[in-house]
Amino acid sequence: MAERILIVEDDERIRSSMRLSFESEGYLVSEAASGEEALDEFSASPPDLVLVDLMLPGMDGFEACRAIRASSAVPIIMVTARNDTNDVVAGLEAGADDYVTKPFVPKELAARIRALLRRARSDETESSAVKEFGDLVLLEDEGVLKHRDGTEVHCTRTEFRLLAELAAHPNKVLSREQLLESVWGYDYFGDGRLVDVHVRRLRTKIERDPALPEHLVTVRGMGYKLVS
Amino acid sequence: MTPEPTSPPSVHLGLRSRLIAAFALGALTLSVLMGAIAYFTTRHTLIVEKQDAALHQAYANAALLRNALSNNVPSISDVVASLDTGSGTTSLLNDHEQWFSTSLSVSRTSIPPSARQVVEAGSVATQTAPGSGAPNLIVGVPIPAVHSAYYLLYDLTDLQHTLRVLLIALGAAAAATTLLGAVVGLIASRRTMRPLTEVSQAAVSIAEGDLSTRLPVDRWDPDLSGLTSSFNAMVDRLEDRIDRDARFTSDVSHELRSPLTTLSASLGVLEANRSSLDDRSRQALDLMAGDLRRFQRLVTDLLEISRIDADSDTLALEEVRAGELVRRSVAQASSVLPAMDAPAVHIADEAERAILEVDKRRFERVMGNLLENALAYAGGATSVDVDVSGDGSHVEVSVTDEGTGIEPGERERIFDRFYRGSTSGRRGNSEGSGLGLALVAEHVRRQHGTVRVVDNPDATGTVFIVSLPIVVATPLTDEEEGA
Repeated sequence: MAERILIVEDDERIRSSMRLSFESEGYLVSEAASGEEALDEFSASPPDLVLVDLMLPGMDGFEACRAIRASSAVPIIMVTARNDTNDVVAGLEAGADDYVTKPFVPKELAARIRALLRRARSDETESSAVKEFGDLVLLEDEGVLKHRDGTEVHCTRTEFRLLAELAAHPNKVLSREQLLESVWGYDYFGDGRLVDVHVRRLRTKIERDPALPEHLVTVRGMGYKLVS
Repeated sequence: MTPEPTSPPSVHLGLRSRLIAAFALGALTLSVLMGAIAYFTTRHTLIVEKQDAALHQAYANAALLRNALSNNVPSISDVVASLDTGSGTTSLLNDHEQWFSTSLSVSRTSIPPSARQVVEAGSVATQTAPGSGAPNLIVGVPIPAVHSAYYLLYDLTDLQHTLRVLLIALGAAAAATTLLGAVVGLIASRRTMRPLTEVSQAAVSIAEGDLSTRLPVDRWDPDLSGLTSSFNAMVDRLEDRIDRDARFTSDVSHELRSPLTTLSASLGVLEANRSSLDDRSRQALDLMAGDLRRFQRLVTDLLEISRIDADSDTLALEEVRAGELVRRSVAQASSVLPAMDAPAVHIADEAERAILEVDKRRFERVMGNLLENALAYAGGATSVDVDVSGDGSHVEVSVTDEGTGIEPGERERIFDRFYRGSTSGRRGNSEGSGLGLALVAEHVRRQHGTVRVVDNPDATGTVFIVSLPIVVATPLTDEEEGA
């Protein structure tokens, strides 16, 4: 069955051209012109991926992102007008998995969409490994991160995959590029900031003091590693 | 031989020198004037005093002599010798052409004839005459009762000495005053010049691009506050103008994004259905696609450079190893430059593990633009070498092409915006925006590096060398990598 993409974009012409483009690649497309509309559309016909413009009238893209993320782990790609670190980081922290900058190259966007959808599919056939480190237990088959006392640590799919990837290679340094490749499925398009922001978010959830991480540590000039 | 009349040399004294000279000259004039007045007043007073004293004494002595002569004293010379005259004075009596003197060195010849005439005519004569050494003040008093005349010679050596000392003192005072005037002039000129110096420093810093420079406005001096406020107003307007220009570029580029996004998404649909189009339509599509890419590139570059101009471009600095950074950036850049053979990358051992602090995305742009530029100037050649070397403090990334090279005169201009090099060797269908090297220069500068161009030493062509500071030269051992 074809996958559904929800386009949240206030410019009608851009929306139409993207619909054409996605439909010619075989996706189903729903459209929304505002954040509010997006939430309605999201519950009416749940998409497999959301493409959200950050600059929207009324409820902006960040809020829409957060609202969707609160109820779903669906992959979200945000569309920014600026490539400013502030916008990108704010968008990623609102729960987006990736971003593209206007005017984007359609092929690049298509590649990102394919990578995220592939990943979402593969999440459903996850291995049944259980990994433990420190006070935490990672149940890959359930996609759940728990403390040893049983309380669940809520994290997004990307965060979970990032942690699982690091946990699969305990005490080994993984570069940002390696992580982009294995977690996001990108080879060339990736931006190291994607990794950095997600690592930062993960630290607030799993570290006692996120400023002095004990598990998820930075290796200067190299990347990240998970200390078991 | 008469000297050639020389025209006055056209001396252009600076404001400061002129101020100092004016102060010194003023001080000199004033002190010479004051000195002259003081000197002549003192001199006059002293001489008048002396004259009065001499006159008094001469009258008194003349009276004594008259009494003595009318009483027919036996020895006139004893009487003359007994006269109370005080030091430095000599009495001379002319008694019927018989001269009596209290000093051997003084005789009738010491009295100028003019003085004698006056006295012999029955009047009192007061006159200065040259004596032995110093001049004498001569007071002649006739003693008509006994047909004699009495002369008192007053030695003016003391007076002259006093006046000379006074003159020297006044001269010294004038010189000191002049010097003081010059010093005051120097200080005053410094104080006067200080605001000018500030203005010129501010202008220099503005010219260097720091438009936030302003002069301090808390000046109490109304003359200077006028200058300050008009200077600041000028910079405000300048900054406003530049901001507006930058904003305009940014706004235009922003506005172009939306239609570009629509265009490129729609064109993507057409390209996906390329096979169903006829030949002519396909050609048209390819032309559109090519120019759309170029357009997109131009807008992206314009936005990037206007962000840098507006200082709103925040760097995402991270620490990365030079070797991996360059390899990745080159791989990424050459993947989107299809006309290019993958560049040969050589990384020296000492540079491989050196840690740089860079914004990777921008470094990728730098490498991409340099490779693209190398390709554009390669004149058909498609091989480009990338070499990385390190010296402990800097890593140098060299991009070497074997193209036609860049004229030395062009080298400083190739980093200018929209500067298009000479057409020789330039490929016609370049997709460059004309901002590529300008962005290279800006990005490298903002990452505390430098970029320069030299001739390819081994062949024709050019080498672009990007030099970036090393943060940590030898970071980790292998085991720390956890391999």
